[in-house]
Amino acid sequence: MASLKEIALRRISRIGPRYLPFADVASAELPLNRLLRLSLFQVTVGMALVLLVGTLNRVMIVELSVPATLVGVMISLPLLFAPFRALIGHKSDTHRSALGWRRVPYIWKGTMLQFGGFAIMPFALLVLSGYGEAVDAPLWIGYSSAALAFLLVGAGVHMVQTVGLALATDLVPVEEQPKVVGLMYVMLLLGMIASAIIFGALLSNYTPGRLIQVVQGAAVVTVALNILALWKQESRDRARAAALTPQPEFREAWALFVRGKGAMGLLIVIGLGTMGFGMADVLLEPYGGHVLGLSVAMTTRLTAVLAAGGLIGFAVASKVLLNGADPLRVAWWGALAGLPAFGLIVLSAPLQMPETFVLGTLIAGFGAGLFGHGTLTATMRSAPREQVGLALGAWGAVQATAAGIAVALGGIIRDLITTLPGAESFRPEAPYTPVFVIEFVLLAFALLAILVLRRTQTRTSPPETYRQRQDRPNQPAAPSAL
Amino acid sequence: MSDDPDKVWPTGLTEKEAEEVHSYLIDGTRVFGLIALIAHALVAVSTPWLG
Repeated sequence: MASLKEIALRRISRIGPRYLPFADVASAELPLNRLLRLSLFQVTVGMALVLLVGTLNRVMIVELSVPATLVGVMISLPLLFAPFRALIGHKSDTHRSALGWRRVPYIWKGTMLQFGGFAIMPFALLVLSGYGEAVDAPLWIGYSSAALAFLLVGAGVHMVQTVGLALATDLVPVEEQPKVVGLMYVMLLLGMIASAIIFGALLSNYTPGRLIQVVQGAAVVTVALNILALWKQESRDRARAAALTPQPEFREAWALFVRGKGAMGLLIVIGLGTMGFGMADVLLEPYGGHVLGLSVAMTTRLTAVLAAGGLIGFAVASKVLLNGADPLRVAWWGALAGLPAFGLIVLSAPLQMPETFVLGTLIAGFGAGLFGHGTLTATMRSAPREQVGLALGAWGAVQATAAGIAVALGGIIRDLITTLPGAESFRPEAPYTPVFVIEFVLLAFALLAILVLRRTQTRTSPPETYRQRQDRPNQPAAPSAL
Repeated sequence: MSDDPDKVWPTGLTEKEAEEVHSYLIDGTRVFGLIALIAHALVAVSTPWLG
């Protein structure tokens, strides 16, 4: 017996480290396939977003006939967690672990929350809609369990995305960050597109059993992809584990972060720009249908046009930023592209020219891609290495909150105008045009904020990361170059 | 086999590290157990299988 045990132990010890989730000591060059693998967590984030905002939104209203207001409340519940992203990011920055890990424990916890939410969600929705014997069940069971499911998934998504992006930032040198940002955005978009198509196909013949299969399948895929993504990514760090330096409280860390050059200004820019690009997201399709008379098949293709614009934007931004452009300048061009885009969309109604509308949508996607890439890269560079999680948490908090408010606001403005007295005599584009005009104005303010931000940044000492590139002649010296 | 008295073979982790890895396992079991409990309770509400 003893010898058998010894043989077994020797065998295990030989293969052991290969099967442990630690990275080898951080190498200078990070292979692309490892980055691609890491970016899989964005696929699960995209899948969760599509499932909550798209698929389940429809299923709850159409198949389960849950009141639309209740559905709206449930879907916006995850937004409550968005501000906590900054706290999560800070916690992962200062996490104390015997293994010296900072990011993996949080990505894992976030994954468990996501899985847990998806695991109970289909049953919660069936109870909520009064399926089977649940008609006689007290109402609070359905409400509270559905709310719990949405909250769990939302909290998990915020956690995984914030800490995952922080891990990606940790792993690459500053010059490579634009590549990572582009990759993360592209994977998010691909995850959303692929899961929208797959969920749509799977749920085309809706049965309660099918709903359970699809949502729980999504739960399993989430866990599988996230484990695959973080396997052997973060190396063990004995020095960090042994260090007994006192870690700053969130309040101190936040105060330090806000004092950094242009940190608040950057957050304001992100908020304005995200709202500016986000308000029309859910209005483009009904606008195309109601006002321009496009068919359903045509309007669903609009989403593809918007996504294609975004992909081009990410590609261009990655290319330019890797050549050493200033991320804020890229964001400026993105917001600038948004102005003619929404101008074209507004003009397409009186001109009755769908081509103008499609072109405007494409440019809006392109601008949003440039803007998103530029601001996220700027965020990654704005914080010192110890505060990357906090900075990305603040980015995510502002970005997610602004996007959520924008979508809600766009819908509310449209609905308010349609209920105005005498609304029947309005032109069909009347409910939509004000929203597009507000987006135009918000983007103009974002442009202004970027100009102010760049001026203050050039006046104070240039940040460390930009100093490295000052040997490049194409580096703009002042915002006057814009 | 071992050069560091703290290390536990066969994995080569120190005792503290091994305990941390173990804590993830314990937490995971608790969370998944709780989730399974809630899911079963919800199924029982809509399609009771006991009586």
